[in-house]
Amino acid sequence: MKEQNGEYGRVDRNGLPVRTENYVASRPPAWQGQMGGCGIASCISLKGERIPGDRIARMLTIMEERENGLGAGYACYGLFPDRKDQYCLQFFFDDEEGKRNVEEFLDGRISVHHDEKVFTREQTTIAPPYPLVWRYFASVTEKREWRGARDLSEDDYLVELVKHINEKVEKAFCVSSGKDMAVFKGNGYSYEIADLYDVERYSGTMWLSHSRFPTNSPAWWAGSHPMSLLDWGVCHNGEITSYGVNRRLVEMNGYRCTVLTDTEVVAYLWDLLVRRNGLPVEVAAFAMAPWTYQDIALMSPGHRRLAEWIRITYKEAFLNGPFSIIVGRSQPETTLIALTDRKKLRPMIAGLSPDGGTAYCASEECAIRIVEPDAQTWTPEAGNPFVAVVGKGILRRGTEHPFQGVKI
Amino acid sequence: MSETVKQGKRLDHRLPEKFMPTIDYELCRVCKRCVNDCSYQALEFRESRVVPSGGCVACGRCIAVCPANCIEIRPVPPQFAPHGNWSERSRRAILAQSSSGGVLLSSCGADDEHPSIFDDLLLDAAQVTNPSIDPLREPVETVTYLGRRPGHLEVRDGKVIIREDDTPLIRMDMPLMFGHISLGSVSYNAQKALFMAAKELNIVAGSGEGGLHPDFYQYADRICSEVASGRFGIKPEYLKGVAAVEIKIGQGAKPGHGGHLPGEKVTTMISETRMIPLGTDALSPYPHHDIYSIEDLAQLISLLKESTEYRLPVGVKIAAVHNVGAIASGLVRAGADFLTVDGYKGGTGAAPRVIRDHAGLPIEVAIAAVDQRLTREGLRNRVTVCAGGGIRSSADMIKALALGADVVMVSTAAMIAMGCRVCQQCHRGLCSWGIATQREDLCVRLNSEVAADRIVRLFRAWNEELREVLGAMGIDAVESLVANRDRLRYRGPNPKIAEVMGVKHIGEGWG
Repeated sequence: MKEQNGEYGRVDRNGLPVRTENYVASRPPAWQGQMGGCGIASCISLKGERIPGDRIARMLTIMEERENGLGAGYACYGLFPDRKDQYCLQFFFDDEEGKRNVEEFLDGRISVHHDEKVFTREQTTIAPPYPLVWRYFASVTEKREWRGARDLSEDDYLVELVKHINEKVEKAFCVSSGKDMAVFKGNGYSYEIADLYDVERYSGTMWLSHSRFPTNSPAWWAGSHPMSLLDWGVCHNGEITSYGVNRRLVEMNGYRCTVLTDTEVVAYLWDLLVRRNGLPVEVAAFAMAPWTYQDIALMSPGHRRLAEWIRITYKEAFLNGPFSIIVGRSQPETTLIALTDRKKLRPMIAGLSPDGGTAYCASEECAIRIVEPDAQTWTPEAGNPFVAVVGKGILRRGTEHPFQGVKI
Repeated sequence: MSETVKQGKRLDHRLPEKFMPTIDYELCRVCKRCVNDCSYQALEFRESRVVPSGGCVACGRCIAVCPANCIEIRPVPPQFAPHGNWSERSRRAILAQSSSGGVLLSSCGADDEHPSIFDDLLLDAAQVTNPSIDPLREPVETVTYLGRRPGHLEVRDGKVIIREDDTPLIRMDMPLMFGHISLGSVSYNAQKALFMAAKELNIVAGSGEGGLHPDFYQYADRICSEVASGRFGIKPEYLKGVAAVEIKIGQGAKPGHGGHLPGEKVTTMISETRMIPLGTDALSPYPHHDIYSIEDLAQLISLLKESTEYRLPVGVKIAAVHNVGAIASGLVRAGADFLTVDGYKGGTGAAPRVIRDHAGLPIEVAIAAVDQRLTREGLRNRVTVCAGGGIRSSADMIKALALGADVVMVSTAAMIAMGCRVCQQCHRGLCSWGIATQREDLCVRLNSEVAADRIVRLFRAWNEELREVLGAMGIDAVESLVANRDRLRYRGPNPKIAEVMGVKHIGEGWG
């Protein structure tokens, strides 16, 4: 039967039919989350130079065994130097009606300075339907009230709006909402997504990217990675076995899980721990991938106390199970964080270009070598974050003591 | 006229036996140990042989002491005409009650055959997309803290502030505690065994409401002192050196009910420990008579925190009742650092049967309800939730954790480990194993050290089984199992239960 075999005859590398169910902004019916393996790659210019999009596309597409054509995406930071103080809200719309719904909702709630259609090719090998992709440059209004809460911070206000859109507004999904960044993702192979958005036309100081090998979920454009909230972008390879626990923590703190993936929860956790609770990145990383109590007992007394208190206080933030994640943010500075689970059950390798100008993190070494054959590479330790900042360099290689630089 | 109608003879409606000890006379050496050890006097020596004399409760003591292995306790087949509605149980109850005219007492947990919801839950395991972990080769942690948690860490001027003193916590090596079993309801040796085992396992044991014997001060740092409505034995030593203090509002086996230790059990030791006169009944009122509302409870919590100089977690224990979620939320807001929820199958030393068997909520549902309610109100990451009441195995413990308990409370399993056979006669004070009795000749039957070793071995094994299951689930620390209802599935007869508990039905997966 034609329907079942794929209307467009789409097959994967091994000749197996690819599911034709394809959802764009609207959540697939009975969607309950997804699982699978993935490839992740990222690069950051330590000197603040602009890296062209084809570079990240080459990094990602070389890891072809890590994807099966059901989702890939890119996030670019330092993308809008002329509008870097404005939020860039980038949307998937099922159709014009979704666009009208969102514009109606946003009217009066934010001030839009400029909006434009995001370039997508009309013809690609990806199975339709394609979303209408649109971006709005906006700043939030003076009056920031949401459901009785007044004087919300600009970020909190925007988070509420985005949560509402993704949960309630039909035929629309806000894909990214940060300053000076945007997410380009969809349902296809990494090279197809690069081609669809023509990522070559963009350049930025930092790129994150992700390709998926989902095992069993219908394709949903909005469910692809990177997952983003405000300027946070998260690419995640793994399956969080503690998802049910982590989800409760973010929901207790007012987040609403709309995509129902562990990656979404990881993005919210970073926002909660670092932006809202103000924790240093090292402390947040330790909460997500803590040492064992046995190892903590060997720390110095001050560090031991800190480590135990992080574990006790944030036990619901502990991400259990295999993961390796790449996290980006543009505020206050463009930062790249790479972290694996505490057993390092998923791969992560870091690299530095010979001139010391560009740093890389990826699932596989080939992703780095393809663009930087002579890079110096090393493996960050299990549960030990790699941190690099545009204009500042590598702050942590992922081999230091977990609390190096943390003030207590 | 009526005087001419003849009256029947007076008959004291003796009930048929439930159990019959049978002796293989070919093997019996007539040593009479069974006769001497049967505290229920169900065996006697007559005409050169041991014969049953009625009243056997199947405590199994005779079997254990018989050197010839010649005793077998057989359940007596039904002695009542079969009837679908009038079960033997109901007819026995009526006959007993029409003889005594009293409230029927029983002990241990509800013994009806209502299926356990635990048995309707299946655990998840890791395959391919997440690797399972071998706990013998890699760390799988079961360290658990009990007490109030701050919710988030404070950062000021780039410095992480740790307010350790505000929130005292107890560290335990496994997510398990022993429930409250008072000296009085059990013997000195039995309570000592529980405390010794708690110390060895590095977990916490409840004191029960009977005060704390001076000999047990050495275990104080592993003891959770109970403040119940009778306020027995509460003095500075009872509160200061201990691990935690717990206000007992209710008990799963008898929600809304108090306690009664008959005067004959109030020996010199019990009277001194409980600080009550010798030989008087120890009555625990049904409510605390200084707690008629949630604000009164808040005051008692403050009082206990003040008197222990804020160095101890102060918790509240409630029976699982229908609005348990809302009550739990009130307890947290009243200042409780930890809550203990006791399900309707929880044990007891004595309870009216009508309450034991008919009041309360299954612990499985209660745990999920409390966790969901506290999560919805943003309170769940502030407190520790302990839960117990009918936990029979490591599987029950694991499922209770996954449903939403931080710590699982067990009592009956520990008693069984030291010899109890759950014959449900605790209220008679004749325990042939020297556990639930104060009779000196019976108390000496229990050796605290042997009993403690048995308890330690049992729960070490449970902890190993917990680690095995965690590893199989791809989880390497127990906190990542707590309230992880995603990793449970329901296979029972009533999907509504699954819905209420927030557990998916078998077959429901992702995508």
